[in-house]
Amino acid sequence: MVKQMTKDTTPTHDVIMIGAGPASLSAAIYTTREDVDTLIFEKGAIGGLAAITDWIDNYPGFAKGVAGLELADSLWQQAERFGAKIELGEVTEIINEGKFKRLKTTSGDYLAKAVLIATGSDYKKLGIPGEKEYYGRGVHYCATCDGAFYRDKHLVVVGGGNSAVQEAIFLTRFTKGIDLLVRGDKFRASEVLQHELAKNKDKITVHMNTTTDEISGVLPTGKPPTGGKVTKVIGTNKLTGKKVEFPTDGVFIFVGLSPNTEFVKGSDIELDKVGLIKTGQLLETSMPGVFAAGDVRSGATMQIASATGEGATAALIIRKYLEGHA
Amino acid sequence: MPKNITIFTTNTCAYCVMVKRWLGAKGFTYEEVNLDEFPERQQEAMQVSGQMAVPVTVITKHDDSQEVVVGYNLAKLAPAVA
Repeated sequence: MVKQMTKDTTPTHDVIMIGAGPASLSAAIYTTREDVDTLIFEKGAIGGLAAITDWIDNYPGFAKGVAGLELADSLWQQAERFGAKIELGEVTEIINEGKFKRLKTTSGDYLAKAVLIATGSDYKKLGIPGEKEYYGRGVHYCATCDGAFYRDKHLVVVGGGNSAVQEAIFLTRFTKGIDLLVRGDKFRASEVLQHELAKNKDKITVHMNTTTDEISGVLPTGKPPTGGKVTKVIGTNKLTGKKVEFPTDGVFIFVGLSPNTEFVKGSDIELDKVGLIKTGQLLETSMPGVFAAGDVRSGATMQIASATGEGATAALIIRKYLEGHA
Repeated sequence: MPKNITIFTTNTCAYCVMVKRWLGAKGFTYEEVNLDEFPERQQEAMQVSGQMAVPVTVITKHDDSQEVVVGYNLAKLAPAVA
């Protein structure tokens, strides 16, 4: 791919996509196959949350399911096969300069005729005492990364949605036991996952109506800090109002998603009340020439299949936009 | 160019893939210690990083001093290997 240069030598592309998750990678397959000069920025893992998900059972075309990392890798290879280029860096600002959008990034400025924002979401933090202090030392948000440190140990998993249940089941391959703390009186996880969970009842003990209030243990010492470990999680049984303690070696937290839209706050790109990007029917944001797809879009269904579909749709819409703004 | 780079990884860790890809793209060679294959080396990873997390990248300089980067953190990794 040849970078175009404007008069001020800023690298310029037909389309720059922000985030290399399933939505962008799918969009890039479509744009690059049509020779649309495409650059993708990614600040974290290529494949996004899909890449750090242990197993994906509901993505069409995989009869037996597929490992998240494998699906991400396939999408990545497929996009690169047609010429998509991925820049490992972070976009910090989008400025509307009319025909071109200027993207401020950790690798300098870039210009694009069209932009696709597909930055997805990250796992939310609980915001409770001990969560920050023990991060990486007993508090985790990625089971596929850090689960292996808990062979034959005991864990607490927090959350009642698909991710919490899926990752708790994944962690049973390492641990001797898991306490699963669910704030509500029912799961938000799919029926299929709840059936899978029931098959693991010898290793996973479910505690409904239980809030997670504090993570406690032995704090690390020294500089750089070493040692330190989690020893228990303190919660409240909402039905009795009593405090409950769960002795544990570690905590994995999956309590919902928080959109990655910090970098557009203060711009002309309108967000909804939870920080997702508002789009019209043609996936265009309130900044002309800037589109959004996947989990970051207001109204998204937070499914990988939807994200890839939206990515393909966005690519076709962007192609049409570029034809009209040549 | 550092004297040696070692990365502690696991099979399912997407951020480990990213660290390896970034180092490879920059032309660095590295030794990989896969903790799923060598669980007996977990303690070593924990001691050097102070954390129970991967990827852990240990950069040994020519004066044998070491820098340790936990996670896929280019802001720390790039200056550490420079």
